[in-house]
Amino acid sequence: MTTERQTAPAISIGADGIDVHALVERILDTVADKRAAGVYDDEVVARAERNNLLLLQDDAQFMEQYLACLRQIVPVDINDFDIVERRGALAPVLVRLKKAIWKLLKFYTYRLWSQQNQTNAVLLAAIEIMQRRHKAEISELNERVEALEKLVKG
Amino acid sequence: MKIAVVSARLHEAGTVGGAETLLYAFALDAVRLGHEVDLLCTCATDHRTWENSQPPGVFARDGMTVRRFPVDSRDIGRFARLQIDLSRGWRLSRDEQEEWLRQGVNSTPLVEWLRSGKGGYDRVITGPYLFGLVAEVCRAVPDKVLLAPCFHDEVFARVEALHDAFRGIRGFLFNTDPERELAHRLMPGLSPKVEAVVAMGIEPFEVSKTAFARRTGITAPYVIYSGRREEGKGTPILIDFLNAYRRRTGRDVHLVLTGSGDVALPPSLAPAVHDLGFVSEEEKREAMAGAVAFVHPSVNESLSIVVLESWLARTPVLVHAKGVVLKWQCESSCGGLWFKSYPEFEEELTTLLDDPGTAAKLAEQGRRYVLRRYAPDAVRERFRAALEA
Repeated sequence: MTTERQTAPAISIGADGIDVHALVERILDTVADKRAAGVYDDEVVARAERNNLLLLQDDAQFMEQYLACLRQIVPVDINDFDIVERRGALAPVLVRLKKAIWKLLKFYTYRLWSQQNQTNAVLLAAIEIMQRRHKAEISELNERVEALEKLVKG
Repeated sequence: MKIAVVSARLHEAGTVGGAETLLYAFALDAVRLGHEVDLLCTCATDHRTWENSQPPGVFARDGMTVRRFPVDSRDIGRFARLQIDLSRGWRLSRDEQEEWLRQGVNSTPLVEWLRSGKGGYDRVITGPYLFGLVAEVCRAVPDKVLLAPCFHDEVFARVEALHDAFRGIRGFLFNTDPERELAHRLMPGLSPKVEAVVAMGIEPFEVSKTAFARRTGITAPYVIYSGRREEGKGTPILIDFLNAYRRRTGRDVHLVLTGSGDVALPPSLAPAVHDLGFVSEEEKREAMAGAVAFVHPSVNESLSIVVLESWLARTPVLVHAKGVVLKWQCESSCGGLWFKSYPEFEEELTTLLDDPGTAAKLAEQGRRYVLRRYAPDAVRERFRAALEA
């Protein structure tokens, strides 16, 4: 049988070499510190994770990460926004037109999205409660299994 | 030894997939080792339609004999329906699995040629795992088959009809250790005569780090991705992460893309993306050499050649931690870092940008690894041992 193991690192880590495991560990520590300090509590980060989260669904920390992202993006922004127009000569007229349309629609969109925001907030709260309950239940079950295992081993 | 290499399509540079390129490399290596080689392929050139676009026949090429056989007629609609069911994770009955294999690419004349024994082959090399043709070849001459499966951890790799076809064959030519471990997880109790990790040889090259910037005028720091752009390759994640990186850090880091496929760009990122499409090998290497990092967020690879090329171009890589093989390549070589979330990506890219010394050392470690493991002579020696085992 022809087999060849390739799992050993290609180089031995010495003074000149970089141990990628150690480097990644250091980076993970930095990320953990910054996460705790709220550095990544940012809508931009939450939106960046939208495709990535699909890859992490089997991950142990998936729900924590998912909820962290959800908390950032759950409120729909219903505030006024800058109305701009890039079409050169017509820009002033188009901006006035868009502002007029926005004034007419503002009340209705506000009503619609404020209701949506209430729904989103309730859904988020429900998921968070379920997550906390599941964690508590799993932790309780683990403790019971450990206690039973100790009992069996005598 | 007389060797048949069975490839669904004949290798033409830039037009076939990685598995077909790998099979052609095996065929060339077999010729270099002094064996008589027949390359058996179908008349198809398009992997979506599998239509017979070339005439059947026999001709010589690169020191081997190419024998081209017609593809069987197929019900594409039926195939697509079963393929979709599989993709959804639905379990197919045994009959449906066989139907899925039958309606995929097949060539009864090719399989009959092998079964007849007229070729007098001592070894039959084929792959990748998910073609009906490959399963039929394994069933026809199991004691001669060395399969280069190019396994990915995906739903198609769990089709039992394929496992049964592969269980009795002579052996496997894996690309990596994780691929071999995956094969054992998929098919418990697997015990072939030959189980070799061979992969593909890469000719070493030297390339200027500044040639790309001189030629294109792109002077901003950039990351690069080469290959097909699609969801399965993680391209949307790369786009999302780089867009977020630019917005959060305010740093003008660009993205250079080579290869094919459409990519949806947010307006804020579009001006910083340079889509070069298909480029020559030289241009690709120059682009790799000038990059801060090669970013490969795919989680379904059996071996990434572009990552190896990137190291030869002295550029470190960033890969997704969920990509078992890519992470293994980085761990084995100490030539790259892996990330599982945006914050990790942000920290790692910043490290490579701000600490060129570390980036250069990682890249050099990767290069040394490629020169040692994937030098054509080293690969050919592993291939020779697998053939003779």
